[in-house]
Amino acid sequence: MALTITCPICGKRSGYEFRFGGEDKGPPPQAAGLTPAAWCDYVHRNNCVAGVQKEWWCHRQGCGTWFSIYRDTTKNLEVAGPQSEDV
Amino acid sequence: MKRLAGLPTLRVNSARAVSIEYDGKRFHGVEGDTVATLLYANGTRIFSRSLKYHRPRGLYSLDGQSSNTYVDVDDIPNVCAENTFVGNGMRVEPQNVLGTPEHDWMAFMDKLSWAMPAGFYYTIFHKPARLWPIAVRHIRKTAGLGSLSPDVELRGRFDQIYPAADVCIIGAGPAGMSAALAAAAQKLRVILLESRPWLGGYFDYRTRNHKPGMPLYLRGRQLADQLEQAPNIRIFKHTAVIGCYSNNLITAFQRGSEADCFAERYVQIRAESVVVATGCIERPLLFENNDRPGIMQIGCAHRLARTWGVLAGEQAVFSIGHDLGIEAAIDLHDLGLSIACVADVREDGCDPALPPQLEARNIPFYPGWVAAKAHGRKVLKKVTLTNLSGVCKQQFDCDTLVASAGLTPVTGPLALAGARLEYDAHTGYFLPTGIPQKMHAAGRMLGLEDPTAIELSGRLAGLRAVADCGMAVGATISGVEEELAKLPGPARGSKFVVAPVEGKKTFVCFDEDVTIQNIDQAMRLGFDVTELIKRFTSAGTGPGQGGIAGHNLPLYVALTHRSPDLHPRPTTVRPPLVPTLLATYAGTNHPMSKRTPVHASQVAAGGVMERLQPWQRARRFCADTTARAEIENVRTNVGMLDASTLGKFRIFGPDALKALQRVYVSDMARVSTGRMYYSAMCNEDGCVIDDGVATQIAENDYYFTTSTGRAGETSEWIRYHTRYDRWDFHIINLTDAYGVINLAGPNARKVLEKVVDGAVSNEAFPFLGFREFMVHGAIPVRAMRLGFVGELSFELHVPSSYMQSLWDILEEAGEEFAIWNFGLEAQNTLRLEKGHVILGSESEQRTTLHDIGLGFFWHRDKLEAQTVGAVALKQTENDTSRLKLVGFKMEEPAARAPRDGSPIVAERIRGYVCTARYSYALKEPVGMALVEGYLAKNATRLTIFEDDCKGELMKAKVVPMPFYDPTGKRMRM
Amino acid sequence: MATIERRSPVAFPVRAVRSTKIGHWTVVQQYTNEGEGPWLIDLSHHPRWDLQDADIRRCKPFPVNVPVDPGTCTLDRGLLVNRMNRTQCSIWHLLGDTPQPPADPVCTETTDATALMALAGGKVFAITEKLTNLDLTDPGPKPPFLLQGPFCHVACQLVIAQRRDLDGTLLLACSRGYGQDMAHAILQAGEEFDLRPAGEDQWRNLLKQIQNERSERF
Repeated sequence: MALTITCPICGKRSGYEFRFGGEDKGPPPQAAGLTPAAWCDYVHRNNCVAGVQKEWWCHRQGCGTWFSIYRDTTKNLEVAGPQSEDV
Repeated sequence: MKRLAGLPTLRVNSARAVSIEYDGKRFHGVEGDTVATLLYANGTRIFSRSLKYHRPRGLYSLDGQSSNTYVDVDDIPNVCAENTFVGNGMRVEPQNVLGTPEHDWMAFMDKLSWAMPAGFYYTIFHKPARLWPIAVRHIRKTAGLGSLSPDVELRGRFDQIYPAADVCIIGAGPAGMSAALAAAAQKLRVILLESRPWLGGYFDYRTRNHKPGMPLYLRGRQLADQLEQAPNIRIFKHTAVIGCYSNNLITAFQRGSEADCFAERYVQIRAESVVVATGCIERPLLFENNDRPGIMQIGCAHRLARTWGVLAGEQAVFSIGHDLGIEAAIDLHDLGLSIACVADVREDGCDPALPPQLEARNIPFYPGWVAAKAHGRKVLKKVTLTNLSGVCKQQFDCDTLVASAGLTPVTGPLALAGARLEYDAHTGYFLPTGIPQKMHAAGRMLGLEDPTAIELSGRLAGLRAVADCGMAVGATISGVEEELAKLPGPARGSKFVVAPVEGKKTFVCFDEDVTIQNIDQAMRLGFDVTELIKRFTSAGTGPGQGGIAGHNLPLYVALTHRSPDLHPRPTTVRPPLVPTLLATYAGTNHPMSKRTPVHASQVAAGGVMERLQPWQRARRFCADTTARAEIENVRTNVGMLDASTLGKFRIFGPDALKALQRVYVSDMARVSTGRMYYSAMCNEDGCVIDDGVATQIAENDYYFTTSTGRAGETSEWIRYHTRYDRWDFHIINLTDAYGVINLAGPNARKVLEKVVDGAVSNEAFPFLGFREFMVHGAIPVRAMRLGFVGELSFELHVPSSYMQSLWDILEEAGEEFAIWNFGLEAQNTLRLEKGHVILGSESEQRTTLHDIGLGFFWHRDKLEAQTVGAVALKQTENDTSRLKLVGFKMEEPAARAPRDGSPIVAERIRGYVCTARYSYALKEPVGMALVEGYLAKNATRLTIFEDDCKGELMKAKVVPMPFYDPTGKRMRM
Repeated sequence: MATIERRSPVAFPVRAVRSTKIGHWTVVQQYTNEGEGPWLIDLSHHPRWDLQDADIRRCKPFPVNVPVDPGTCTLDRGLLVNRMNRTQCSIWHLLGDTPQPPADPVCTETTDATALMALAGGKVFAITEKLTNLDLTDPGPKPPFLLQGPFCHVACQLVIAQRRDLDGTLLLACSRGYGQDMAHAILQAGEEFDLRPAGEDQWRNLLKQIQNERSERF
């Protein structure tokens, strides 16, 4: 794995220093009135985008910060966010 | 054999002699010799026997492109003689021979080649089936080249290095060196990787003029001198690139010289920009018996003479497809090699200045001719040349045939990085397209042949790499581009030609003994894609990794195919690009484990240490594996456990309580000062991941513990589950800051009260209490009354640097009671008797808080806290289909305890034993198991299967827990 | 009777020539055959704190300033303050005395949480490149600066205090439990450069040098 990830505190580092925190799915839904299926979907259902997706990473071997980046899953490369691309 | 002396291009030091032992005899050479050149200079022509047919094989290339010269050096098999420098006293043995390379008793295999068509091992020996076990034994015996003794120990040190670089350049030929100088001129940190032991590439051995008065080799050395003087260029010689990954991660390994402190070292570089200037290798010429010893490539014969001072033979024939061949013929003639003729596979297109020079030396020149067949039973005796139509033939006596079809670029690193290789009809090369960003190709691999153009293309690539590093060199780049456009571009290469032969012994791949007849067979069987033909015939799968077969194979397939639109494409390249020792990949790999502050005294006390997660911990202190004496000492007297590995944390700040409420299932608002509060953490599925205790130190300031295994992840876990909340709280991992002593047993209080400055009576310091003491007025101790082992016990948290002193003080105070250590094994039995779970033993990934009977910790009325796992705990609360934790005893108290992990069966598997031990307190085995709900009722029979039980199931019955001291009065004493 | 002592997680396999008592610590001033450098010096007895606050610039547990950007450090009157992230600093007291611990609850004493070592002298960065893929010779940041990342596969705080080509001074803090293996791994990697353990005297000299160099620059 030759992935590099840019930590907002420490800068660009080897991907081995980080822990993957899953796709960015937003905050968990409120517990009140939540059906088992809806909760299960939130926890386990991923979009598995073939392309650019926003995801959480933790700089576990460095500063310990959780942050999100955009990654092209087809090339396994960190990319700039979609807002900065002419899509 | 006499060496050529005084050549300015030599890389050997003739003044210093070296010697090796080969096949039991001593051979002498000079300093700078490789094993291959030393043996060749001493007359060795047959170096090994081939894999399948045991054909004699000799020196063919000098860069280890095939296994022809693989030998056994000091008991290490498959060492490539071509790039292994001679060390004094080396013991070299030939491999894959029964006898000697000259007289191999397995040579008859060559006569049996008809019985071994392509893919024969897929198609024969299978029927009748009873033949297979016999066949497999013989195939295994003959397969493979060298043999490795299991006792052999690799000598020398294997190291690693991660040098930092802005620009990494692969290949130190003229292009690579020019690129390095261009990048270094901008003050960037440059790394240059060169697989040969010196710089210069294909300039290094050539005497042709670069400019008037400046021969190529001198130009090469001039560039090399400039590089060696540049302070910001780091040169790694004798360093082969093995991997090339995204984001410009380059891996390589360097062979150490005698001056280095390593035998080999793994090199890993992450560069901002990469320049690939790997140049070309020669494409082997395909003709009958093209593997006979005495046949070699142009560069091999030329470098053998110019670099090592060894003439390849006495009488040579050249069959070549590139000007380098004519140049070599002229040069070698002048050095004393008699040349019968030069056949050029090209009918036209050679440099017009060269044929007159051949003529001047009376060397006949045959354009449009090619070698068709080599003769000689073991080594080359003569060769048949033919014109391309095969109509005219002529034979020449010779002991050396310099054979080469043309050049082909070394594209391994680019291909690994994801570039596509497209066949280019003009150059006859596979040229890279779609090269990843911040990676550049330069030099000969692009088809350039003019030395100035090669250097300039290197300079251009170097400047582009500089631009990648964010420096403004755009104007310079345009200037160089214009200059380069004026120089000769990619030269026309030789067409792919196969001599008109039958092809039975025309080898496409030497390593695996694959002939063009085998390729034809595969295509007749319907394999049409090169990638599949490679697998079926195994061409290019040997240690040379396609060095020989690589580009001939796709070209041959494309030529043979009738389909006109088939684009030849090389097969996929994968790392490592060259064979690499596993020891080199492993490096020094210093073991890193954590030691507790009393590690040394635990070891001194006879502790049997084991690794538990990152820590070294004492399993037991007695020879008895059940740790009976330690257990009984805790139950009846007083023991000390080093529990320093527990996770310990401080959390503080205005939102600290909110954060605790988020991750702990209980109502953490109840955590107060002076008391310990037990709780657990679950994941989103309600599965229990951790348990521990917490107490309040001050307002918005808490101290809590986690299990050993979770200590490393707890901060991360809490921050993850609060990442959307912007809460103001702070966590500090104090795991290593405090050592922990668990002082346990009925006499624990009597020991503790001797050393602390506060009251420790049951009234002053009750069960689950938290107190802070000073020991001997100097050591601050945080004391907790907990009951994991089920006796009166004090968990003492002490700053790690003081821990050994506190341990010694307690040991001294407990001397009158014969206080003694206990280890993990004793603790495990003690807590089992109490029915206390250890997460990971009594739970696995799918086990919920309800399953292990701790559901009562879950506080269902703190919805606003959005506790992790609460939703799932609610949903699984009444799920009857889940495994439940139960206690059990054996039906026969005299039976032994089942082994941990044994399945519980009733027609099928119904659960498993988590932990079971003989309880000395109860005088019978007890255990805990996770079982299906219908088995969880009291007094139910559990039948337990063990691997070697031979159908005799062990019988146990479910009993209530805890087994020992069910009312818990002993820990509340 | 058992004596009260504070012990470092690091023990070097060489004989001490001279030691002094600082509080309950026994600090080795000098080891036998310290050589000409590079040196590995155990500084684990130097007091250290963790400082965390949402508005960290306003915290003044010591009369020194907190550096502004994560990854930067200040060295003032022997106190090295390393900015770790938006809300956190580590503070290392590098002089030989024992300062009054700060009463401010935003500070946590972490002296015993880590092992602290200095790797100093010639070819120091030739040793470190054998042990980490972190770029310690990046010409961008000016010493002293902080890198947080793996060293010998273990998460560390690394402060490059001083650097001239491959020479310089590096301070390294790792979890205390790893201290012994870390010291051993560094000594092993440094063997070819004649790396040797050194005592507190050597450290005093180095600190003086670092401080002089800094005052010259400002």
